[in-house]
Amino acid sequence: MKKTMILLALVAMFGSLLAGCGSANDGGANGGNGGNTGGEAAGFKVGMVTDAGTIDDKSFNQGTWEGIKQAAEEFNLDSKYLKPAGTTEAEYMKEIGNLYDAGFKFIVTPGFKFETSIFQAQDKYEDAKFILIDGFPHNGDFNAVVNDNTVSIFFAEHESGFLAGVATAVELQEGEAGFIGGMEIPAVQKFNWGFQQGLAYANDNLGTNISLKPENVVYEGSFDNSAAGGQLAAQMYDRGVNVIFCAAGGVGIGAISEAKTRVQSGEEVWIVGVDVDQYTDGIYDEESNSSVVLTSAMKKIDQVAYDMIKAELDGEFPGGEILTFDAKNDGVGIPTENPNLSDATVVQVEDVFAQIKSGEIVVAEEQGDFIK
Amino acid sequence: MRNTIVSLLAVLFGLLAGALLMAVTGHNPFEGYRYLFEGGMRDISRFGDTLATATPLIFTGLSVAFAFRTGLFNIGAAGQMLFGGFCATAVGLTLDLSKPLMLVCTVLAGFLGGALWAFIPGLLKAKFNVHEVVSTIMMNWIAYWTIYYMVPAYFKGEYLETESRQLPDFASLKSPFLSEAFGGSYINLGIFLAVLAVIVIAFIINKTTLGYELKAVGFNRHAAEYAGIGVNRGIIVSMLIAGGLAGLGGVAEFTGNASNIQIGKLPTQGFDGIAVALLANNAPLGVLFAAVFFGLLYSGRGFMNAMTDVPPEIADSIIAIIIYFAATSILIERLVRKLLRIRADKREQSAEKGRES
Repeated sequence: MKKTMILLALVAMFGSLLAGCGSANDGGANGGNGGNTGGEAAGFKVGMVTDAGTIDDKSFNQGTWEGIKQAAEEFNLDSKYLKPAGTTEAEYMKEIGNLYDAGFKFIVTPGFKFETSIFQAQDKYEDAKFILIDGFPHNGDFNAVVNDNTVSIFFAEHESGFLAGVATAVELQEGEAGFIGGMEIPAVQKFNWGFQQGLAYANDNLGTNISLKPENVVYEGSFDNSAAGGQLAAQMYDRGVNVIFCAAGGVGIGAISEAKTRVQSGEEVWIVGVDVDQYTDGIYDEESNSSVVLTSAMKKIDQVAYDMIKAELDGEFPGGEILTFDAKNDGVGIPTENPNLSDATVVQVEDVFAQIKSGEIVVAEEQGDFIK
Repeated sequence: MRNTIVSLLAVLFGLLAGALLMAVTGHNPFEGYRYLFEGGMRDISRFGDTLATATPLIFTGLSVAFAFRTGLFNIGAAGQMLFGGFCATAVGLTLDLSKPLMLVCTVLAGFLGGALWAFIPGLLKAKFNVHEVVSTIMMNWIAYWTIYYMVPAYFKGEYLETESRQLPDFASLKSPFLSEAFGGSYINLGIFLAVLAVIVIAFIINKTTLGYELKAVGFNRHAAEYAGIGVNRGIIVSMLIAGGLAGLGGVAEFTGNASNIQIGKLPTQGFDGIAVALLANNAPLGVLFAAVFFGLLYSGRGFMNAMTDVPPEIADSIIAIIIYFAATSILIERLVRKLLRIRADKREQSAEKGRES
């Protein structure tokens, strides 16, 4: 019994030690925080809550964060991202609350899963600003309610997919294409349908001959199962597919490694990347800087995150609006540098891009007759 | 008493190990812990969130602990929770009843769904001696893919393929009154259900014949059989109750903390339940405290992230390390026992010496 008392006393002592030191540290901790809030002068700190997946997902989270980081460096702002434990509304709300309580009152959230959370947050934290990418705030009933402290942002994925489709077709001239999607959600579907239209446009108008069979259009069902991505890619390549458009986050990374293995053993296969310029992810030969990524269907997420922060600094925050970034405002497109595309292809794609801009070519964003 | 101290020591070791990791990665442990605990308890709304985070863990912890008492290692709490939550969601989205009646139905559906998911491994164990670790893990994946198929096929949201429709208010455990009392927290009626479950399970284990029989099976299966206890029946009953508890965890998570069910996710609370049960030494009341402790860690983590420079990935590791060490309470118990024995030996020796001289 005596020993248990000693043990208990020890535990209690350590506990009070922790608590004591915590409060004694008060001043120091705050001082430390004050030190790196160089952005305090500019007036706000930028926070981000990540969507499902990690910060280095080569896609959504990473793109958003890179834009924030760039702006934070340029304008000397404090920035921070938090990673929620799960993807439920409650968990998102918790992290938004954490950012808010820590003084991060300009909060960027990438992904449609934040829709209902932002709906609540924009009322709960009225003096905070919210950027919701790929979604609009609603109460679970899909009636958009965008308060003055929120901006909702969409991308024209179908136009991006279209351009990638044209680039692919013109570069390869003939062959067979495939598509691997992540989850069957609107953003991914629009990439798919746009890509199909791009191939069809090139076949009809630019004399190419690229086919796409229904069995080679697959949604894997997640954004993180890279092993399954590799298997799907292997099956498609075995069936004679030459190029696969992957709009699938981490699943696409699996497909890229499969393509690398095949290229190294002498086959000629290609991948079309998504969201960001994935050229560097597809490099299989460091020396010659050769990559299996033909081109990428980009959404300029980083640019948008950057622009929004800049707008806030300039006092031009477009609160209450739903913005769409498409070819017209250069929000989508293929990368500026495409080592795997010939100059002729690049010129051709630029021409098509201009035609989309001017409205001569209209890319449908509905399923229509397209595969899946 | 001794068990409590062992558990507290385990927590202490966990916190020390976490502090070490923080120090090694160049962060101030005191500052980190201060914000971690502040994040979970700073105000009433954060405390409510902590309790809400703990609610599913109480259920899965109870589930694992209860099965442990019968000598069964229920690793399938995740699948049972998922399927229980799915059944509750399905009932909530299908039936049209008044709120009290509806809640009775969803809770019942969740319990039965979880129980069904654990019944199969229980039956296999009783009839064919298939090890429950293997079969419950397999059931996890069956639940995962069943939900993956069923939700888009029958309960699809209006626009999204990847999650079910939102539950209507009358089918949700959320209570505006409770939320307001806790300053806008997402705490819900699930916590009352959880406390009730702790009391009921403690009663079953400690005060009933059924509990006695199940514990006997856990201590020594053959002796129990020799004493005339129906071992096979015991295994199945134990799994049914354990599964039902995990199913209730699913009800708390999917109709309380969340308002719909998402596909492609195996709830992490299922596995955390094992750690909760280990830390609690399989005692129901201990499960309650251990789960609240875990809830505190999970809910304070984000605030620690926001207030310090600890990156989220390191914070995850810190929490994992605390949990890891906290779950080694058995080792610590051995250590304590060993230390006591060494002391006793020394005392005997010195006593003998004293006698000799």
